[in-house]
Amino acid sequence: MVEGGGREGGDKARDEFLSEAQELVDGLGRDLLQLDEGLKRGRVDAELINDVFRAVHTLKGLSGLFGATRMAGLSHELEDVLDDLRLGRVELSPGVLDMLFQAVTLYGRILAVESGEGEEPAPEVEQLLVALGELSQRRAGGGGAGVVAQYELDPGLLGVLTEYEEHRLRANIQQGQSLYRIRVRFSLSTIDSALDDLKAKARPHGEIITYLPTGSGADIDTVELEILMASRAGLELLRSAITGPNIGIEQVRRRSPAAPSFPPPIQTSPPPAVRESLAPASVTSRETSSVRVGRDPAEPKQTPSLVPALPKAPGQAGAGRELSLRSVSQTVRVDIRKLDRLMTVVGELAIVKTAIANLAERARGRVVEARELAVELARLNRTFERHLAQMQSGILEVRMVPLGQAFDKLARVVRQISREHAKEVNLVITGAETEIDKLIVEELSDPLMHMIRNAIDHGIETRDERLRVAKPPVGTIALNAFQKGNHVVIEVEDDGRGMDPEALLAIAVQRGVVTQEEARELGPREVLALVFMPGFTTKEIATDLSGRGVGLDVVKTNISRLGGVVDITSDLGIGTKMTITLPITLAIIHVLLVEIGARLFAIPLANVDEAIALDETQVRTVEGREVLTVRGASLPICRLGRLFGVPAVERERAREFVVIAQVGNRRLGFGVDELVGQQDIVIKPLGKSLAKVRGFAGATELGDQRVALVIDVAALIEEVLAPAETRYLATAVEGGRA
Amino acid sequence: MAALVKARSEKRAVRRAGDGGRRVEYLAFVLAGETYAVQLAHVAEIRRPPPITEVPRAPATVLGVISVRGRLVTVLDLRRRFSLPEAPIDRKTRVLLADAGGGELIGLLVDEVQQVWRLSAEEIEPSSVLGGEQAAHIAGIGRPAHAQGSILILLDLRPILESP
Repeated sequence: MVEGGGREGGDKARDEFLSEAQELVDGLGRDLLQLDEGLKRGRVDAELINDVFRAVHTLKGLSGLFGATRMAGLSHELEDVLDDLRLGRVELSPGVLDMLFQAVTLYGRILAVESGEGEEPAPEVEQLLVALGELSQRRAGGGGAGVVAQYELDPGLLGVLTEYEEHRLRANIQQGQSLYRIRVRFSLSTIDSALDDLKAKARPHGEIITYLPTGSGADIDTVELEILMASRAGLELLRSAITGPNIGIEQVRRRSPAAPSFPPPIQTSPPPAVRESLAPASVTSRETSSVRVGRDPAEPKQTPSLVPALPKAPGQAGAGRELSLRSVSQTVRVDIRKLDRLMTVVGELAIVKTAIANLAERARGRVVEARELAVELARLNRTFERHLAQMQSGILEVRMVPLGQAFDKLARVVRQISREHAKEVNLVITGAETEIDKLIVEELSDPLMHMIRNAIDHGIETRDERLRVAKPPVGTIALNAFQKGNHVVIEVEDDGRGMDPEALLAIAVQRGVVTQEEARELGPREVLALVFMPGFTTKEIATDLSGRGVGLDVVKTNISRLGGVVDITSDLGIGTKMTITLPITLAIIHVLLVEIGARLFAIPLANVDEAIALDETQVRTVEGREVLTVRGASLPICRLGRLFGVPAVERERAREFVVIAQVGNRRLGFGVDELVGQQDIVIKPLGKSLAKVRGFAGATELGDQRVALVIDVAALIEEVLAPAETRYLATAVEGGRA
Repeated sequence: MAALVKARSEKRAVRRAGDGGRRVEYLAFVLAGETYAVQLAHVAEIRRPPPITEVPRAPATVLGVISVRGRLVTVLDLRRRFSLPEAPIDRKTRVLLADAGGGELIGLLVDEVQQVWRLSAEEIEPSSVLGGEQAAHIAGIGRPAHAQGSILILLDLRPILESP
């Protein structure tokens, strides 16, 4: 057996490390984007900075454990800066965020090196380390110490605040928040959950700065806590929001300017005995509170505001624009290889199922005992089928991940580019919760990134240019995803200058992509499709954004490899929209089995509109292409036997069939010899040695050891319907490379 | 009797291993009358050929695809690969499953599988003894010391798997 060969335990642990680190880095990127969003609106979310700090802290520990020294060094320096940010010693600015984003990029590259790809980004890391170090040098004091004194706060309490808590207290006061003192008594047995519950209730309304045991309680089984909270909300609102037994909420009053400098008695204050016992009790609480805030990466997050980002949250679908980039995907991490193996098992189960069904079919109709046996077998088969269906859908679900995983990375790219260049771009994402097969998500990142870079580089105009044509100064790129039947549609739409067909044609002619005469014959759609031709780039000079020798042809190739298609529409002056249509999953598909010659082929039903008997009298040949008249409309047809060079066989019925397939809005009829039936199949990719063979999406086993090839409808439609001249060019280019 | 022979041959194997240093196991098979051999470690499995599904537009050396326990395996015809005359599949024909890297298996169609040879370094001549330029897939010539007259064409599978 070759499968699962002898892997070392160390390798496994290392893989775990890599995937965990990758996950942390991805999360880091999301948090930074949210910080960036907040910063644009003048807000700094302290909890987010804490999350970032925790993630970096964990990364430091992980990388130390696995001897990834460069990563550990970077994490160490970052941790210092983040600690300064957290404590308000350094102010969060777009420049600081740039460094943090840079760190995310470098983490990614270091991880790639750790898994054996790419080169060590040593100089970049060194540069960033120096920059981070300088940042720490420049740090200022927290400032605003005076503001705290304006409040009637107990000096005993102020004395035991950690540096972080003190900073938060100051920051909240400076933001004009009111301070509240919450007194609550908990039973010792339920304090953990009750406190969490209270925190959850309080969190939407403000920030809990600290909580300390008061040292008093009605009896030895209860604990009384004093909670200091900052909030914008009024007292009445808080009282109605934070409810529960034994809770009292009071506002901490500002001292009047004339007030004496010593703390006046506070109405809601506990008995004097409690007051005195506060100091000793605070020693322990001080420690626990610092652990709570900064050092515990495992602290459960219960931020209710994140709930809307959860996939499938009811009633949230319409709030697309407000959808948080930060997807709280509470999914179990599963190694894709494990899933693949599971899929293999399911595939075999499906084969067994077919075999049982065949057996039942054969046994039926012989002697009575055999018939009874057949009934029994058929019953078994029904049960088996039901379980199999459940198993298949369960496994499919495990493979599905929200597209947000790919979108997050794009948001980072957009931010980076729009900061590096004079173009201001707002990325609007809708449908990040749309789910698609994990494999597809992984493969989508690069094509999408390229499309977005292309949109920024060629589509979005500069600020001045936009103002001249009365457009909003900030360009918008919309990234929309939604499910449509068995497909997922992703649109990349910009409100830039659009594509000029005349200019495209002129360039195409100038580059020799098409001749003058051919250019005249191209329809508007075909003109736009020229941008997908290998080597086609509309900028005179390649920019570092998109024109790096590779063009949209790579995007197209990658998408078709996933069984999808790219379409493009553009209005000059208004914008360009590229639409990707993809199958939801690569794994199990419903197919139509057809016979061509003596061979079986499978056509995915997702692409099939209908199958009809071929009426030869309705076939005409137009420009060398066969066209069938179906219900008064023309349908180009392609006889697969001829296309594939499959030898014909003698048949009782001479009649052929046409399977009408559609991808995007292109239709084509495939001529086949016989329709065999429908079946659910597990599609498997053809091996590396067949990677260059076009026209097949993979193959599947049919249950009797026979293998049927699965037709790649999108690729064949493309191949057959591509204009003759572009087809010629494509082969010429390929030939030139070889 | 059989047990005795086995015991004796094992003893001999131990002695050979003692004098010849490290020995490598080769699986010998026949193609158009010649004996070829590949390192046994590279062969995952030997199978009788199942029905092979031809793949239109595939390179000429690709016979088609088969399914092995739910895995799709591309089968290469080694006769075509080495420009030998074609022969029909018969009851001696076998498919060697070789690991092509990346978890992929490739099937190699051969006329007949013979036996496993344990060869020491002294029993292997470099391919340069054949003179001139040799195809990249020829790793050397095996001359088992205790079987005078046997010649094994030792194959390096990597070039074959990389460019069928």
